[in-house]
Amino acid sequence: MKRQLIAAVGVAAMVVGVAACGSSGKSGDSAGKPANYNGKTVTAWLMDGSAPQAWQDGVKADFATQFPGAKLNIQIQKWDGVGAKITTGLSDNSVDVLEVGNTQTAGYASTGGLMDLTSAKADLGGSDWAANLNASSVLDGKQYAAPWYFSNRVVIYNKALWTKAGITGTPKTLDEFYADLDKLKATQGVSQPIYLPGQEWYTYFGLIAGEGGQIAKQNGSAWAGNLESAEAKDAFGTYTKLQSYSTAPKDKDEATPPQTDVFSKGDVGAMIGLGWEAPAAKDMPADNVGYFPLPGKTADKPSGVFLGGSNLAVAQDTKNPDLAKGLLKIMLSDKYESMMASSGLIPNKTSLNSLATTPFAQAAIAASANGATTPNLANWTSVENPPSPIKEFMTAVLQGADYDSTAKKYDDQITTLLGQKQ
Amino acid sequence: MAVQSEPVRVNSPGRSGAQQPPKSRRPAAGPSLLSRIAPYLLLLPAIVATLALLGWPLVKTVLLSFQNLNRRQLVQHTTEWNGFDNYKQLLTSAEFWHTTGRSIAFTAVNVVLIMVGGTLVGLLLNRLGSKMRLFLQIGLVLAWAMPIVAQTTVFTWLFDSRYGVVNWFLNQLGWHSMATYNWYSSQLSTFFVIVLLIVWGSIPFVAFNMYAALTTIPNELYEAARLDGAGSVKIFTKVVFPSLKPFFLGTTFLEVIWVFKCFTQVLAINNGGPERLTETLPVYAYIEGSGNSHYGMGSAIAVLTILMLAVLMAYYFRIILKQEDEL
Repeated sequence: MKRQLIAAVGVAAMVVGVAACGSSGKSGDSAGKPANYNGKTVTAWLMDGSAPQAWQDGVKADFATQFPGAKLNIQIQKWDGVGAKITTGLSDNSVDVLEVGNTQTAGYASTGGLMDLTSAKADLGGSDWAANLNASSVLDGKQYAAPWYFSNRVVIYNKALWTKAGITGTPKTLDEFYADLDKLKATQGVSQPIYLPGQEWYTYFGLIAGEGGQIAKQNGSAWAGNLESAEAKDAFGTYTKLQSYSTAPKDKDEATPPQTDVFSKGDVGAMIGLGWEAPAAKDMPADNVGYFPLPGKTADKPSGVFLGGSNLAVAQDTKNPDLAKGLLKIMLSDKYESMMASSGLIPNKTSLNSLATTPFAQAAIAASANGATTPNLANWTSVENPPSPIKEFMTAVLQGADYDSTAKKYDDQITTLLGQKQ
Repeated sequence: MAVQSEPVRVNSPGRSGAQQPPKSRRPAAGPSLLSRIAPYLLLLPAIVATLALLGWPLVKTVLLSFQNLNRRQLVQHTTEWNGFDNYKQLLTSAEFWHTTGRSIAFTAVNVVLIMVGGTLVGLLLNRLGSKMRLFLQIGLVLAWAMPIVAQTTVFTWLFDSRYGVVNWFLNQLGWHSMATYNWYSSQLSTFFVIVLLIVWGSIPFVAFNMYAALTTIPNELYEAARLDGAGSVKIFTKVVFPSLKPFFLGTTFLEVIWVFKCFTQVLAINNGGPERLTETLPVYAYIEGSGNSHYGMGSAIAVLTILMLAVLMAYYFRIILKQEDEL
């Protein structure tokens, strides 16, 4: 089965290679008459759950006005297994504009599949992009993508259960949070104070960042796993303590089963999640759901968070680079960034942050001050791909393995994965 | 199926005299061109399909295994030959040899259980009355016909730590520590579930073939054996087993191949986890190749897997050819 798959990809790549060579001459001809876009199609891949329908409809309408005759085909992709899909998409030229996760952007950029947008940056509004959000789009000084939206995890809690447990106000320190979780544990009708599976590595990553540590560190030109560091160990202590309040499986992540489903049942005190993971209104009324940043050890700042997000990129082999860049400009314009902000996400310009007024966004923006992203490395994706050494490490230690020796073992794995030949 | 039905026919007692000399079937006059090439024409579609669907991908896999092919090369359509680098790296890696050893042990355990279980069920089929036999046959066909992914899903649910029927049942029996036991938390318990799934799914094939083969043994042989005072065990070892030796040989080798390259069940049950401890060679190739986008390396693992199977098969064909010579 495997070898047939590889071979199929290989064959597809060869066939497409021939096709790509044949078509590259054409793009020059059409440059002379830019007003005629008839019969041209731009395919955009957006990820499941990213862009609200109104955003998509608006972009389509504006694109049709600006490029009469051209067709915009927005396709929604699932996160699960998207790596292989994007790789083949870039290889066989089936996508022009695509959303890429910020931790994965460097990986795709290093394949040569993404167009260098450095010269178009200013035109796309790049002078005003928040520097920390733009970092993941840049590799070796070149702009391979544009920051689109960001988000980070906060504590999402069930207000009714918290009131029932006699908790007023939200905790300002971790110790206060533990005390609240103890109260919830003692409350009838609460199955578990917090739902936190053993492999929620985004939260662990945030905790390490909050301790001032790094999950992987640079030694000269090479990168190495850094789970052995004192900061990572400290952060894992916090994670273990939080996880001890949950009966969630230690060998699963937040997606299996979807933690939203667990939380929506109404007998779980809290979970740590993104805005879109909040229960649907039909499952739990919105005013019963509260949000606050995961508190830090001291009241002056919350815990660190993993800054997740997505960038938009143009495929190197696109047949319509002008249309693709034009579409990117529409998508990244203040009009559509504002819509992303109003839906609770952090937009690419800090000047638009004030539009993010949902209760989730308020908590998230407060926490994002202490946020960090994964190292911007071509091979980073391999660390996240199943079987992810970070997740396996977390499960092993939570199930009682010795921290230091287990951390050493998985640091070695991370080092190997990060050092693999491109 | 063809593999073992041929030797069974040739070997079955009481038939040797019935064999007709093949020459007498040929027409006396010189055969026309059409009738001479007809067999080849009939074979053609199968050969073309085999070459297109197996031969060509196989050639490509071998070619890929000598390349450094990752995402960058795939996206840019470049070919980077790197000789035996992939093989060198694999053959010197402890991970590869661990996985190989695990695959061999996994195959051995499965095949022994499948052959013993399948043979026993086959013997049972032969002894049952027609109603119970039909009942058992329907059960076997259902197990055999169930799609592998559906089988795996059902087993995942059965062995779920909180809502699984198995844990509930063990708890009801009084084994309370099993009430929320996580079957996927250790290597052995994960393998237990996978082996159970594969053995359960493979027994019907062996059982049906065993039953079919048993019907070729004439009743007189059993009667003669019984008159000589042989018990059930002796009848099996002295009558059934020698008569059906080619059947056992063929089926065992088929099962070895199937289990060794078994992929879906192992991957779908627990993704080769925990801690990559249940990865067998095909899963290893998939994770290295597709998962981590090292297509060249994945191909090299696949080629080495094929070579291991080829060695096994060579041994099998040697036995078969030897037998044919003896006849």
